[in-house]
Amino acid sequence: MLKLIGSRLLQMLLIMAVVSLVIFAIFDSDKFKKQIAVAELGGFAVSALSDQDYQAWLDRKGLNVPFYDRYFKWVAGVARGDLGRSYEKSEPVSQLLAKRLINTGMLAFWVFALMVPLSLTLGIIAGMKEGSVRDRAVSFIAVLTTSLPEIATAIVLTVILALGLRWVPANSAMVNGWDWRQLILPVLTLVLYDFGYVARMTRASMAEVMTSQYIRTAVLKGLPYRRVILRHALRNALIAPFTIIVLQLNWILSGVVVVEVFFQYAGFGQLLLDAALFGDVYVIQAATLVAVFIAVLSQIISDIGYTLLNPRIRFS
Amino acid sequence: MTSRKPTQSDHPKVHEAFGLMKAGRMDRREFIRVAALLGTSAATAYALAGLPEPAFAAGNLPFPADDPNAKAGGILKIGMEVQKMEDPATYSWVQMSNQTRHTLEYLAMTGPDNVTRPMLAEKWDAAEDLKTWTFYLRQGVMWHNGEELTADHIAWNIERWLDPKTASSNVGLSTFSAMVEETPEKDAKGKPVKRMTKGALEIVDKHTIRFHLNKPVLSAPEDLYNYPTAICHPSFKPPISDNMIGTGPFALAELKVGDKCILKRVKKTTNGKDFNYWGGKVYLDEIHYYNFVGDNQLSAFASGTVDGVYEFSVEQMDLAKSLDGNIVIARTAQTICCRMQVDQKPFSDKRVREAVTKSVDNGVIKNLVYPTGGDIGQNHHVAPVHPDYAPLLPPLKRDVAAAKKLLAEAGFANGLELTIDVGNTDGPWHQTVAEAMRDQMKEAGITLKINVMPPSKYWEIWTKTPFGITAWTHRPLGTMAMSLAYRTGVPWNETHYANPEFDKALDAAEATLDVNERKPKLMKAAKILQDDSVMVLPVFRPVYTISAKNVHGYEGHPTQYHQFNKVWKS
Repeated sequence: MLKLIGSRLLQMLLIMAVVSLVIFAIFDSDKFKKQIAVAELGGFAVSALSDQDYQAWLDRKGLNVPFYDRYFKWVAGVARGDLGRSYEKSEPVSQLLAKRLINTGMLAFWVFALMVPLSLTLGIIAGMKEGSVRDRAVSFIAVLTTSLPEIATAIVLTVILALGLRWVPANSAMVNGWDWRQLILPVLTLVLYDFGYVARMTRASMAEVMTSQYIRTAVLKGLPYRRVILRHALRNALIAPFTIIVLQLNWILSGVVVVEVFFQYAGFGQLLLDAALFGDVYVIQAATLVAVFIAVLSQIISDIGYTLLNPRIRFS
Repeated sequence: MTSRKPTQSDHPKVHEAFGLMKAGRMDRREFIRVAALLGTSAATAYALAGLPEPAFAAGNLPFPADDPNAKAGGILKIGMEVQKMEDPATYSWVQMSNQTRHTLEYLAMTGPDNVTRPMLAEKWDAAEDLKTWTFYLRQGVMWHNGEELTADHIAWNIERWLDPKTASSNVGLSTFSAMVEETPEKDAKGKPVKRMTKGALEIVDKHTIRFHLNKPVLSAPEDLYNYPTAICHPSFKPPISDNMIGTGPFALAELKVGDKCILKRVKKTTNGKDFNYWGGKVYLDEIHYYNFVGDNQLSAFASGTVDGVYEFSVEQMDLAKSLDGNIVIARTAQTICCRMQVDQKPFSDKRVREAVTKSVDNGVIKNLVYPTGGDIGQNHHVAPVHPDYAPLLPPLKRDVAAAKKLLAEAGFANGLELTIDVGNTDGPWHQTVAEAMRDQMKEAGITLKINVMPPSKYWEIWTKTPFGITAWTHRPLGTMAMSLAYRTGVPWNETHYANPEFDKALDAAEATLDVNERKPKLMKAAKILQDDSVMVLPVFRPVYTISAKNVHGYEGHPTQYHQFNKVWKS
């Protein structure tokens, strides 16, 4: 197991090195440098700059040195814990990133806290008796909520709950400080979108387990149905959903841009989008490192959990 | 009508304008605007016109009169994009200037009534030939560091704007383009470098500065409220957000780009003295701008998160009406130019450009994107809201047959394929316009491909793309818009249009005080531009904003400038 973790971490470092180098090379192009100038000075002003003055501006910003110089300087900084400074927001990237990660972590916590029990419960109930009314009802709801894009769910919820009934705030900008009510709509949107997927996977897994020989044997032995489900079916039925749930960590980190932007929630996804539109290379680099780290971490957790849930699987 | 008459101290042109008004050749609103521009106080100008002075300004101050019911204190929260503030002279977004407007002030201020009044300048006067302008600064205007504002400081700002290294768009304004001249120096592209004419600025005394222009200009005070003309302290070094020393009643307390911009009242100068603001009472304690992009601004208002918004879109009007707020609609000259670069193929062939403009029906497009409010554009940049506009040009008519003929003559008998770049920099309605153009142009044999890109991307290429849709904000005068965008060689000339005949016509319009005489001159320039078919300009759009019922004195400005000196909350 330690060997596995060691090898995954090594892979992670390699991926980080390659990805960061590629990003630096891409963002070193004249096109992206111009993008930064436009975002910082404005399109109207950049068009009025002479080439000489534009070069002077690049010098001031430290963008006129070869990319490998900047890259190695950045790598040395990262090793010291300095992730650089945001061109757009004029803040140290580490501070910026920490705040946004905390916000997205908060969002992720509540999404998981609601989505996991809900989807597992409904998935198990549906999968216990394939083809039953309960199964069909859960499957219908799960397909419906998953097939609606997040933006559509967000709009529907905002119109009904915020603008219509006025039960909750319509945005999550937290202008007046932390307000848990402002978290309701983004959490609800993400839970609705994600629960259907996990519930369907759980249902499929449960339905498969329920048709296996050992469950039939347990039932024929006369064991109480509750005991068959809780002691025998559940553990095996949770193997597949467990992996899916852990992998949702990746999605919640960088795949919720739409929801964060729609509700103006200052999270990691919105930061990534802003940085990409601005050409804020140091923020993009740092965000990428975090995304790679979370991806590898979730894989490690998934592998370990898989091993614990299924004793037949061993890594050599 | 009034029995009062201009006095000896008024500019000769004010006497002339008064005569025109009495003869019915100039309306009273236009007389007030012209008289105020020429140094007559707004109160006197209103009195001469026989009109009561509106609540937009009181006495010699550019701000509305004090409200006896006003309650001091409180925080005004506005939903707007919070942007980076680098250099006020190179601002390219009104939002940036709103963030600094209550700290960095202007020599003049144009109110919501389109009348320009003295701000940091106490008054001004102009020579009869409109080539020499003298600005008298208010005495005792205090910087936040305790120094007094002087004419040297104004000169420092203007010299900086006119330095090519600053790359300020102010150079394109009529006043400042009349203060520069070409030098033998060439830039990297081989174009002559323009520098400030020697003697263009004269410091008369500590509080008086004089502009010597190389051509007559009427709009000098209005140019001095253009948003990149904020007056900075000479110690300024970009970025302004790091050390903003201003003369305004508020100072920057916190800026987080893309998050919030917090302004707080200045009570003490940085050297510990009491700060005395020249502009009278200010009610609010703090102004907070919170970052809400586009349509999110109205949902933030609906939630009670903010007290007002920068703008909401036409699609949100029904929602806005359902909310408990005061909707403000301003008729403006804000527009988009679907412009072609006249030196790029195939647009270098005038017949192609004509085919494009003739294949499009501007009225249909206007009604599609702004069914209520707004004005139909006529492929030139003078809007009906401009005081110097006149409906002298016949309305444009779509002529598909003529467009096809022109294309055939240009060698595109089998059709032409074009690509238009769209950045939706002012909202998704840009794309709707492009789609409507695509459908209309198809009939004429032009296949229009629409290349949609993020707004920031569009601003990278807006001067380079041969065919693109660029948003232009409101300018108080038609001459200002035309001068900024179409005069030969100015920095914002995105069409690369260069026509000495047009420049001459524009010069003539800018030098004419009599608005009735100026109108045909400006429309002559507009006709030249229209005939040269450099763009499809289909609509002048209205702007909508909303404020909470407990916010008082929240005015809508056609340029969306915020000036909250007399705004208060109950």
